Amino acid sequence: MKFMVMVKATKDSEAGKLPDEKLLTDMGKYNEQLVNAGIMKAGEGLHPSSKGARVRFSGSQRKVIDGPFAETKELVAGFWIWETKSLQEAIDWVKKCPNPMPGEDSEIEIRQIFSPEDFGEAFTPELREQEQRLRAKSEKKG
Amino acid sequence: MRFMMLMIPKGYESAAPGTMPEDEKALSAMMRYNEQLQQAGVLLALDGLHPPSMGARVSFPGGKPVVRDGPFAEAKEVLGGYWLIQVKSREEAIEWAKRCPAGPNEMIEVRQVQEVQDWPEHLQPALEGFVEMGAASRPT
Repeated sequence: MKFMVMVKATKDSEAGKLPDEKLLTDMGKYNEQLVNAGIMKAGEGLHPSSKGARVRFSGSQRKVIDGPFAETKELVAGFWIWETKSLQEAIDWVKKCPNPMPGEDSEIEIRQIFSPEDFGEAFTPELREQEQRLRAKSEKKG
Repeated sequence: MRFMMLMIPKGYESAAPGTMPEDEKALSAMMRYNEQLQQAGVLLALDGLHPPSMGARVSFPGGKPVVRDGPFAEAKEVLGGYWLIQVKSREEAIEWAKRCPAGPNEMIEVRQVQEVQDWPEHLQPALEGFVEMGAASRPT
């Protein structure tokens, strides 16, 4: 099963405050454990929402709103993609994570990623084939 | 530059476990959009997420992990999926987001991914390892 593991934003991360060398080192060790266990598939950090934008959809209208966005706790500061055998295994790994936002209350959200089998009949053979082509090509690029 | 396009569907925060996109037409339109992203050479990765009611949140009060199972009553906006794209500018990323066949209950947040060169020089050596790990863990 694949999971997206998201580190949620805090005041500090939204202010662009960077982790110190100690946290980076601890996080590096943790990432190494994830890689050695064959769990980590990807991982990225995001710039604060002040550098981002949101697009809202209404019929043919598109409204662009520049960041920052007020709902700090709902925002994503960084994420990993993991492959584990269960949600519980992902939770157990998250518990071992060094506190990603020292000095502040922080939260990590774990969400299961859809696999083609989850879609059942709505995911027609044509769509399935299209999806496989898409992944084969974009993974090569990534 | 790399950007995440984060899909935020209103109402998904309270969706029941096992909720799936059912509209075949919408699904096909989204797949066509995905193919356009790929044909333009900008698509690096994409995934859809099961509702938060099937997930968990871990917080660290006082440094100790506390686990809560979904759904999360306080959540107003949750992620439904994402695209990771490689483009030349923030404007180009926003243009791609605008082309998405999204519905009126959906919103796309465009966020720039941190690259090693975005960090102060003294922290960059510590980050090189992350890049190698990321590269090593990607499928070939």
